[in-house]
Amino acid sequence: MKRQPIDPRPGWQDFAQSVGFSFHTIDNEPYWDESAYYQFSLQQIEQDLETPTEELHQMALDLIPDILASEQQLQQLAIPERFWDYIAASWRSGEPHLYGRMDFSYNGSGPAKLLELNYDTPTSLFETGFFQWVWLEDQLMRGQLPPGTDQFNSLQDKLEQAFAQLPLAQPFYFSSVTESTEDKGTVDYLMDIALQAGLNCRYIQLEQLGDIDGQLVDMDGFPINGLFKLYPWEFMLQEEFAGTILSSKTQWLEPSWKLLLSNKGILPLLWQKYQGHPNLLPAFFADNQPVEAGWVKKPLFSREGANVELVTASGQRLTEDGPYTDSGYIRQALAPLPKFGDSYTLIGSWVVGDSAAGICLREDNSLITKDSSRFLPHIIVD
Amino acid sequence: MTLRPSKRSQKAALIFMLPAAGLVLNGCAEKQVAAQVFSTPDECAAFYNPPEQCQAAFAEAEQLHPKVAPRYANKQECEADFGAGQCETAPEKHQQGSFFMPMMMGFMAGQMLNRGGLAPAAGQAANPQTAAASGRNSVPTQPLYKSRDDRNTFRTATNTAVASQPGTTNIRPSAVQPKPATLARRGGFGAQAAQRSVNRSYGG
Repeated sequence: MKRQPIDPRPGWQDFAQSVGFSFHTIDNEPYWDESAYYQFSLQQIEQDLETPTEELHQMALDLIPDILASEQQLQQLAIPERFWDYIAASWRSGEPHLYGRMDFSYNGSGPAKLLELNYDTPTSLFETGFFQWVWLEDQLMRGQLPPGTDQFNSLQDKLEQAFAQLPLAQPFYFSSVTESTEDKGTVDYLMDIALQAGLNCRYIQLEQLGDIDGQLVDMDGFPINGLFKLYPWEFMLQEEFAGTILSSKTQWLEPSWKLLLSNKGILPLLWQKYQGHPNLLPAFFADNQPVEAGWVKKPLFSREGANVELVTASGQRLTEDGPYTDSGYIRQALAPLPKFGDSYTLIGSWVVGDSAAGICLREDNSLITKDSSRFLPHIIVD
Repeated sequence: MTLRPSKRSQKAALIFMLPAAGLVLNGCAEKQVAAQVFSTPDECAAFYNPPEQCQAAFAEAEQLHPKVAPRYANKQECEADFGAGQCETAPEKHQQGSFFMPMMMGFMAGQMLNRGGLAPAAGQAANPQTAAASGRNSVPTQPLYKSRDDRNTFRTATNTAVASQPGTTNIRPSAVQPKPATLARRGGFGAQAAQRSVNRSYGG
């Protein structure tokens, strides 16, 4: 695993704009950064990332029946009791799931360490599946990369297969928060792929979802029987339409059982069951006390590094503010992100259905990866 | 040299995110069905239809009218779409007063009144669910409306133009299926996003 500088493609910003990737630069700071790429060997990709991703995914799925059978664990995960039966039913009836992303600390050798599962509302999908893919094709065409250069990125192919094969209600609706152009970009990309797979898709703003007699409805009052929502389950369970979830005949993507896995509490539960697994870090449920050297504290529900606190082995304390102060916490042994130049690098590994589907890399100037971190492409050269 | 399978997608194409590529969605070829459109029962009878069947179809449409007419929170909004003096109070109330709806300006008789004599018994299709259930291949008898800026055209409650003169017209049944006026509660999701608006994305 190496970081290599490369010339950006001339005019890539215009191309990005033309395909709806308007958030490539945020507040004059680059988000998409193609001034360098990361290079992996095929063995690093297959042995150290792809295989562990699928194994960890199965380990996480295997935990679900245990959690559903344990009131203590459901409470530790802060799942509202009102929804226990609903979530159990969604798991037992085999409600299909579409995708997720796990984040790893990995420097090219030794086992990749699982930092967390983003299994409910993972983003940076378009950047990974489309924009990074096009970057490689362009650089190959320009002769900037040697012929035969590859990329671990079957994301779009696997999403298209999933949309073609999953038993989804039609028309299938897609929804995101109105004000977030980034989330709309992610949903547009998913709808585009779903359309290519032959699905009848419609978009509705999340705030426009309606309720008639407990049934979720669209703008015309027609029932919504299938809905992809780029919005966290733990938020939905606290909001005015929480009751609608229980009564509405709606198939959800992701299904409600994904709430168990997107929860940081899954990390101590994985450690309890598979203690010593090479890809797992020691993790425990915790209270809101400051952590010791060599540990990270994370809220059960948090996104983009918010409300994360860590203390390095040498005692340096880093904290990130955020709005997720109202749930419990876990602590996890610190596996510091590897440093390349001035940047700390995180690897996101995608799962579609139950298969590993590619990776994305994020660079930050701190050990805590945030929404301001840069996205860099990668290649495989053997 | 042996070729190993690629680790990346065979293609990563976009269809509708590309502004240049227009999407052409072809509906299935749905058969058009004949229906008759009139302002009043008398006008219907003048087209050589049995007067009692005209009256029955009118009554049926009138009964459906308060169930399907589009709803407005106040009279001004309603009149902006349907014209001054063209709106009336709807049966439902909200916190600030009554909902408003346009007045019925005509009716569409789904069956050919004088041939076949299949006018449904009065009240049978008065419930929108029943009307829809009676078959997506037929045209349910229903009320019609006229918008402020186009007084010649008869429109259904869901704003599908069906005719610009009385008499027989041909329409696709799927375009004119009555449905309940939308009185859905909205805004029940999204509050947490508004409260915690520090992140630019609600994913992660």
